[in-house]
Amino acid sequence: MSTFKGFERENGRVGARNHTLIIPLDDLSNTAAVGVEKLVQGTRAIPHPYGRLQFGPDLDLFFKTLAGFGRNPNVANAVVIGKEPNWTQKVADDIAKTGKHVEAVSIEGIGDLKAIEQASRYAKNMVVDASEKVRKEFDVSALTISTKCGESDTTSGLASNPTIGVVYDMLEDEGATLLIGETSELTGAEEHIADKMATPKLRAKFMKMFQDYTKEVTSHGADLLGSQPTQVNIRGGLSTIEEKALGNIQKAGNCKIVDVLDYAEEPRKPGLNYMNTSSAAAECVTLFAAAGAVVHLFTTGQGNIIGNPIVPVVKLSANPKTVQTMSEHIDLDVSGLLRFEYDLKEAGRRLHALTLQTASGRLTSNEALGHFEFAPTKLYISA
Amino acid sequence: MHAAKDSVGVAVSDITEGEQVSGVYMGTTKEMRIRSKDEVQLGHKIALRRIPRGEKVIEYGEVIGEATKPIEQGEHVHVHNLKSLRWRRK
Repeated sequence: MSTFKGFERENGRVGARNHTLIIPLDDLSNTAAVGVEKLVQGTRAIPHPYGRLQFGPDLDLFFKTLAGFGRNPNVANAVVIGKEPNWTQKVADDIAKTGKHVEAVSIEGIGDLKAIEQASRYAKNMVVDASEKVRKEFDVSALTISTKCGESDTTSGLASNPTIGVVYDMLEDEGATLLIGETSELTGAEEHIADKMATPKLRAKFMKMFQDYTKEVTSHGADLLGSQPTQVNIRGGLSTIEEKALGNIQKAGNCKIVDVLDYAEEPRKPGLNYMNTSSAAAECVTLFAAAGAVVHLFTTGQGNIIGNPIVPVVKLSANPKTVQTMSEHIDLDVSGLLRFEYDLKEAGRRLHALTLQTASGRLTSNEALGHFEFAPTKLYISA
Repeated sequence: MHAAKDSVGVAVSDITEGEQVSGVYMGTTKEMRIRSKDEVQLGHKIALRRIPRGEKVIEYGEVIGEATKPIEQGEHVHVHNLKSLRWRRK
């Protein structure tokens, strides 16, 4: 069994990073959250444009996303800053259920400057506390890993996505928890994913999810041609959504799917879990991070440069041009697969090793370059 | 090439017009040789055989769309002669 060195949290979950997170509850609190990030070294703020006048399932998902970031084992402790106290406390309380230290600060009645001071005093103590945590050795089964492809081209389906498939098969054997999603991008290959479902009940749940997503897209009187495949995909040689989807699903390897999850829902079972997500890179990775993924494996053909504020995004590409022209964004070059220099098994071994190194603290390109995209999924208009 | 019954292959390097090219089926050592009729950039598809208009185009051993015009062996296959069968307005 392979191991990695991670941070054990109060609830027994294991993280690959040790962030002190500053969470703005709403758009109006971004300035204060970023203010704290500037004052207190080693904190990270996650500004976003939402959190006012949302309602129903959209509001629930929004809360779940913010709290999920605080709950993620890559986060040691967190400060939630909101305009008004009630919703702020609600998110802080959800994070506190993990047993980690969380504080809530409201701007109402005191203004930004006093709120920044209050939050900064909490945050200063938190970064010091976090610095005392020491990595310990854990079995790979303690890891939750997610994957997604972006700015794909045919090299994704030929080489980089099958490399993920090999690694997912290895990690499944080792008892890790694995996530895939990208519902619209299964179009043309949805039956293959349905065939991977462990039970008929899961299959039915998945097919309904897929059909509802498709219905939602077509209900706006549009089809996805022009958006799926994207203009970048087409430049890279992908012609149709079916072709893109058949390449996409290579990432699932030979794994059975043990559960079907809603947006940002935390997985409960080891093995491969399907999560309903958009196929837009930042939104999708944000949902996986909110569900507790601690390392993300991202394949790209044409060179998607995405990152995440709390989850290291390991980027691999098999496109020999992209690994040259955009090398600063690529963590693993598997273009040798197209030149028959090594086989998929060898590429998988390399990615598996890099995944564990990353889980143990090796920085990814997105972390070194400051690519920290936080993009909560919004289900519909605000009131 | 992904699968034995595929009607298109993927260029793993840039192909020039009229070039004699060879392809390998994934996971095998089985080869196939054709002459290109077009310039085909890395990542783009080349027809492995003649595909009549309206016939389904096969990659990964699966349907990826249909030919919108007759395609000759060695031609570049992309959005100008291949169309999705999905996402159509009903």
